[in-house]
Amino acid sequence: MKRPLLTLKSFSLIILVASFMASCSSDDNTPNPEKEKEEETESRWITIAGAKMGDNPGDGNGGTLIYSVSSEDAKDPTVQIEPFNNGFVAPSNRTARLQASEDGNTIFNISYAGDTGGNYTKYLANGANNFEQTGSEISIAPYVGTAPRWIKLFDGDNTGAAVYVSTEHQVDDNGTPDNVTDDTYLYTNSSIGIVTLDLVDSKINNFQEHVITLNEENAAAGYYISRIDMPTLNKAGDKLYIGARVSKIDPTTLESDSNYEILGSKTIVLDYPSLLNPTIITSAVGHGNTNGYRSINSFEYDGSVYQANQSDPEGSHILKIGADNEYDDIYDFNLDNALGVTGAYVLAWRPATNGKAVLAYRHDGSVEGISGRGESYFALVDLNAKTATLINDIPYDVDFELFQYQSYAVNGTEIFLTQAPVGKNGNIYIIDTETGIVTKGAELVNATGSHFIGAW
Amino acid sequence: MIRTFLFFTLLLIIPSMAMIAQENSISGTITTSGEPLFGASIVLKNTHLGTQSNLNGTYSIKKIPKGNYIVVVSYLGYQSISKTISINKNRVNYKIDFTLQEDAKKLNEVIVKAKSKKTTLETKGFAVSAINTKETSLRSIQTNELLNTTVGVKIRQNGGLGSNVQYSLNGLSGRSVSIFIDGIPISVYGSSFSLNSIPPSMIKNIEVYKGVVPGHLSSDAVGGAINIILQKGSQNNLNASVSYGSFNTFQANLNGAYRLDSSGFTVKASAFYNYSDNDYKISGRTIVDIAPNGVETPIVARRFNDAYRSNGAMAQIGFTNVKWAEQFLIGITASDEYNEVQHGTFVTKLPYKARFLESDALLGNLKYQKKNLFIKGLDINSNAVYGKRNRIINDTVAQAYSWTGKRLVGFDGEYIDYIWGSQNENGPTLAKIERKVSSIRSGLSYALSNNHKILFNHVYSGVDREDSDELISLLENTFLQTSDLYKHIYSLSYELKAFEEKFKLNAFGKYYLQTVKNTQPVFNNDNTQVIDEVYESKVDYTGFGFATSYILTPTITLLTSAEKAIRLPSENEVFGDAGDNLLANLTIKPETSNNLNIGFRLGEFDIKKNGFTIAANFFARNIENRIGLPANADGLRESDEFVQYTNLKNTAESKGVEAEFYYTYNNNLGFNFNATHMSLTTVNSGVESNVPNVPLTTMNAGLRYTVKDFIQSESILNLFYNAYYTDEFSFKFAAGTNTTGEDEFLIPKQISHDFGVSYTFPKRNFVFSFDVKNIFDQDVYDNLSVQKPGRAFYLKMNYIINNF
Repeated sequence: MKRPLLTLKSFSLIILVASFMASCSSDDNTPNPEKEKEEETESRWITIAGAKMGDNPGDGNGGTLIYSVSSEDAKDPTVQIEPFNNGFVAPSNRTARLQASEDGNTIFNISYAGDTGGNYTKYLANGANNFEQTGSEISIAPYVGTAPRWIKLFDGDNTGAAVYVSTEHQVDDNGTPDNVTDDTYLYTNSSIGIVTLDLVDSKINNFQEHVITLNEENAAAGYYISRIDMPTLNKAGDKLYIGARVSKIDPTTLESDSNYEILGSKTIVLDYPSLLNPTIITSAVGHGNTNGYRSINSFEYDGSVYQANQSDPEGSHILKIGADNEYDDIYDFNLDNALGVTGAYVLAWRPATNGKAVLAYRHDGSVEGISGRGESYFALVDLNAKTATLINDIPYDVDFELFQYQSYAVNGTEIFLTQAPVGKNGNIYIIDTETGIVTKGAELVNATGSHFIGAW
Repeated sequence: MIRTFLFFTLLLIIPSMAMIAQENSISGTITTSGEPLFGASIVLKNTHLGTQSNLNGTYSIKKIPKGNYIVVVSYLGYQSISKTISINKNRVNYKIDFTLQEDAKKLNEVIVKAKSKKTTLETKGFAVSAINTKETSLRSIQTNELLNTTVGVKIRQNGGLGSNVQYSLNGLSGRSVSIFIDGIPISVYGSSFSLNSIPPSMIKNIEVYKGVVPGHLSSDAVGGAINIILQKGSQNNLNASVSYGSFNTFQANLNGAYRLDSSGFTVKASAFYNYSDNDYKISGRTIVDIAPNGVETPIVARRFNDAYRSNGAMAQIGFTNVKWAEQFLIGITASDEYNEVQHGTFVTKLPYKARFLESDALLGNLKYQKKNLFIKGLDINSNAVYGKRNRIINDTVAQAYSWTGKRLVGFDGEYIDYIWGSQNENGPTLAKIERKVSSIRSGLSYALSNNHKILFNHVYSGVDREDSDELISLLENTFLQTSDLYKHIYSLSYELKAFEEKFKLNAFGKYYLQTVKNTQPVFNNDNTQVIDEVYESKVDYTGFGFATSYILTPTITLLTSAEKAIRLPSENEVFGDAGDNLLANLTIKPETSNNLNIGFRLGEFDIKKNGFTIAANFFARNIENRIGLPANADGLRESDEFVQYTNLKNTAESKGVEAEFYYTYNNNLGFNFNATHMSLTTVNSGVESNVPNVPLTTMNAGLRYTVKDFIQSESILNLFYNAYYTDEFSFKFAAGTNTTGEDEFLIPKQISHDFGVSYTFPKRNFVFSFDVKNIFDQDVYDNLSVQKPGRAFYLKMNYIINNF
């Protein structure tokens, strides 16, 4: 494309330079700080991500910055980490949804919205802000659009899955297309698309689309699946579960409804890897959505899949889907009861290999901070004992909130998390899930209005 | 089209059957050394009668009562001539030709200079750039390109002919800038009648007001206003042009005016046609071919879904320069547009195919202008437009295409059809927006004396909007809420001239009143009828400002202007949009901006045959109460909750300097250079940072050289060269000082060059021009990473008849 037109270029420059030399700013390239690699056998990279403020404190719309440290440094409270000034800008117009390989060496990103929306890229963490792009870039946008909801399936970092849904209201015009008074609402179709992606070789594995509708009674009342997310593979590896949100319209006017009865939590179950035969399963224990938000909402442990739900009128539950691919309605783990609060809302959680988990939540009593969202807390959860306890060794703050929190780094039974109120400094904390001992790690240096969204 | 032309022909024939002249006239040709002299002034001494010679050197003065007169002909740098004539008959045209001699002793004399209209406007005190279209109208230049060379103005265009354009004045753009045609907001005419479709030849001149907008152009724009003044056409003329060039771009334009001297009966008509395939080549990181398994190969692609067509016509009929009105015209404007859409806001790896927009507009207008109404010094000026315009978005094709222009093949070897059933991810649509629009602008001015003048102006604009979509059920269409917007802006200005007209002041106050009417259809109690529930919101606000100039010496003028400008909240900012989960905020406050300009103008200095002018302006803008969405908006929307627009706490500030330099030599050579450098900052993450996606340093240079008697005697050859420079800018806030990965969001420094030549044939009826745009085929971008056309060639032919 570029032609060697040096003489012409300099000619034009002479014309343009004139008196405005002084006003032209020159941006010096600051060299990347080289960080020495201290490879030890048990060490791994811990990658910290921060979401920068856009227009308002805590909105995270200014982009996502990532920065890697060794797990030793992450545990060292004398180490300072400043991703907002020294980090690597993840190529996404809005908050990127990141995933890491189990060993922490690779960061997977599918950028969300904008000109790169739907692009899958893979980076090798080389420490600090040195992230080296590896493998070829591919786009899943033709299948699931430029704002895909994706996570990796826990199958040895081989596969990622992304989903898409669009809805269409069906109306019977009673044969009179010009008369609105005799029109009746029938139901709403949800067209869902699922794509699976080979994370290693960067290629598309499979894609299927289906049209799904809720049962007749619910559908006629105006209930429909409006959003899906969080594909999770079962232990046998033959079914894929997809979390769903159910919304409702007013069947007389087709406008969005509010203050309606919340249905039992639902999950779409598909054959894997064929992605065929979708069915919908419904919990008798929990009500509300299972599609989560930014962080992974359901995990396989000990042969079953444990799933958090949100917007449950009784407070969030951890729901269990058994090896038979049905909700286990005997397993009743209500977080309001376990935590002794009302309106518990799970923001992000993650179990370690021992069935013990760290869970971020807020509740009806949370006071609103600078970002307009309620104060958040961490709890230590035992999936088997169905207990949840507030972790008191982590400092809380009214401006500390985890709505956009994405990830915990798991190293065996240890869980790494980030704690920093919006716009204030904080620390990495390491929870030994076996003993419940909390260790204060490296200091997180914040920027005004920004916040940290996790450790990988 | 054919019908329109027939209509014009009729309009042109009818008046020729009208009345016979009652008064006398004089006409003739002004020449110098055998060549016609353009722009010489011809006045009857001690009367108000006078004119200027046109391109052919001809002139005519009409409606001359019986009596004895002294005709004075003058032109800067030439010796004036006068001649006494006596007119004692009725209905006679006296033919008098003059030949002027160049004035060799010019430097030794005291020169009393008449300012050109451009200079007069630019020394009134406002930060204004007046753009003359005389020369450029003969070239293959779009009106937007003309504006782009103006200091402080940056056009941000999303591609080729017909693509979406944003006007940026000193860094503020979008809704901050209002565009007017003859004082009527261009938005009234709809997108089919944009600056893309108005050829420069229909435009008399363009006024660009930066930050401070005079009372007569009242609008709620915090950034400034651009006013396009169309040819008045009270002289008989016909002007036709056709141009053809790269990307199958064809443009034709016809405009004419006919005035019957005896009665003042006037007919003006114009028509335009624009077409382009816009199939220019683009490349870049998202321009890739995608293999079935997803592997991507960068390619150079031709845009394949970007054709644009617009055509339209205007006709006006009435009386001009008669006893009871300077102008009384009734007119009609019709236009229609087809615009294919190649991609969304961003250029992604998935181009659109078969998504297009169609719009049309039909408007009637009435214009009345009278000086010295009832009493001397009282002038009235009124302009009203009423009509309908429609817009359809058509996107129903689900088939996926790649940048190769071919269908996209999926991982299973099958063609991909998008799951969302359309090109845009929002799903198939045949959305239709019907608007009834009206705008009335009236002005009353009264000159208390030569030095004091009071002006009262009122602008009303109203939009009744109705939305529907054929692809959704009637039930859903019925319950779509609609918003109507009515705006009144009143302004009172006071103009003062003092110290022998060395000091000029224009002080003004503006009162804004906006009513938004929101209609929500609901069923009645027994579901047998749909009734409308109507909500109203009224916002009012007051702003004020001034512009002043002081002529220190004839070549040094100082200018200052300031305004507390405001932008009223839009309909969805007030009433929300249920479809977009936006809640109403009835207490939202308007955005305000304190705007300040301080400048000077030096010149014109004349040293022998050299003339030059230097002007500079320092500007500052401070925007408060910016309207935006709150922090948790994304999260709330994500969980289907509602959000509302609010006034944001952080302000935006713009500071900068712009400068221009003009140089002429012997009327043959013209050079101009202008540059703008500014900062546009807002508080981001507690740090003052540059607002992204705004170029902060731009420069333009232009060179014109005229050769007379080239090949044929009496011919004129003009050579043009333009260069444009835009500094590197980022389309995202820089995250930190030491971060990596930022280059992903950078738009590199750009320099592009245009060259043009025009040749005017001896009889002055034909002008041919040839233009090369972006000679060195550089990659140029205005917005994000949307690439604009590379090298392109255009040929244009103009045909002009005057005084038929």
